Amino acid sequence: MGAPKTKDGMGMGPFVAIWAGLLCIVGIEVFLTYRHFSSQKLLLFLLIFACIEASIAVMFFMHLKYERPSLFWSLVPALLFVLFMMDHFWPDALRLEHLRVVHW
Amino acid sequence: MSESEIAMAGHEAVREDSPYGIQHKKLGIWLFILSDAVTFASVLFAYGYVRVGSPGWTRPFEFSPTIANGMVMTLALLTSSLTMLGALEAAKHDHKSRCLAWLGATMLLGTLFAALHIREWLKMMEDGWRLFQNPLGGPALFGATFFSITGLHLTHVVAGVVALAVVAGKFNRSRMDAGHVETVGLYWHFVDIVWMFVFPLVYLMNAR
Repeated sequence: MGAPKTKDGMGMGPFVAIWAGLLCIVGIEVFLTYRHFSSQKLLLFLLIFACIEASIAVMFFMHLKYERPSLFWSLVPALLFVLFMMDHFWPDALRLEHLRVVHW
Repeated sequence: MSESEIAMAGHEAVREDSPYGIQHKKLGIWLFILSDAVTFASVLFAYGYVRVGSPGWTRPFEFSPTIANGMVMTLALLTSSLTMLGALEAAKHDHKSRCLAWLGATMLLGTLFAALHIREWLKMMEDGWRLFQNPLGGPALFGATFFSITGLHLTHVVAGVVALAVVAGKFNRSRMDAGHVETVGLYWHFVDIVWMFVFPLVYLMNAR
């Protein structure tokens, strides 16, 4: 069995730095929430930051960066494909707004 | 290799190398995480669907206490990921007592997260929030989405704390090794990652 590329003895230092970085991102998210952006713009910003946070956590905290690339290529594209296919529901959600009964 | 050579070499000689270079339990937890990620994605997409289709969506959360409480919960969960990494480092270097101390800290932070969450739920219920009841008069589905998403996540946190306790107990008796600590750690980090989406989408997007 091939050894993973994890650097044993790397210590906790880099992880503490990543942890601090993730906390900063959460702080930025909260700050942006009270900047009175439109809902669409705020959603976009929050999703971008959440995806950055999740990517960092998966690669470093979950050590995916140090595993064989085959693991990454087996898991991540499959998940992204499913998430992409789920996006096909949005037009129907938007359609709901126009299907409401108007009470005169 | 002839049959007799295989028999001579024994089972180990013909065992194929894993294409991922990891233990089967680690691959198993990765596959579980993948499927669980899709579960959470479905729930969050459903929340988005309901929200887009419901005009006049309620945004009830004030900075204090709800968002501030959410920030403390985020701090607890993110820090628990760090302590989990400490436990794994200690387990890899065979420092049993240090590993157990880090696992204990992780469980403590997970319990703190759950306690803060339950306190928040109780406060909301006191204010009249129910699964299909909105005391502010907006769409009743707010309660359904909020309680189901945060409830599913809270269930994962509680299950994680129990799993950590089991692994810590068995690691202490040398019935589990660093591989098991890493496996439960992967699950714990995943729970943390899910919160990275739940906090902005369910809390911050509903802040006043």
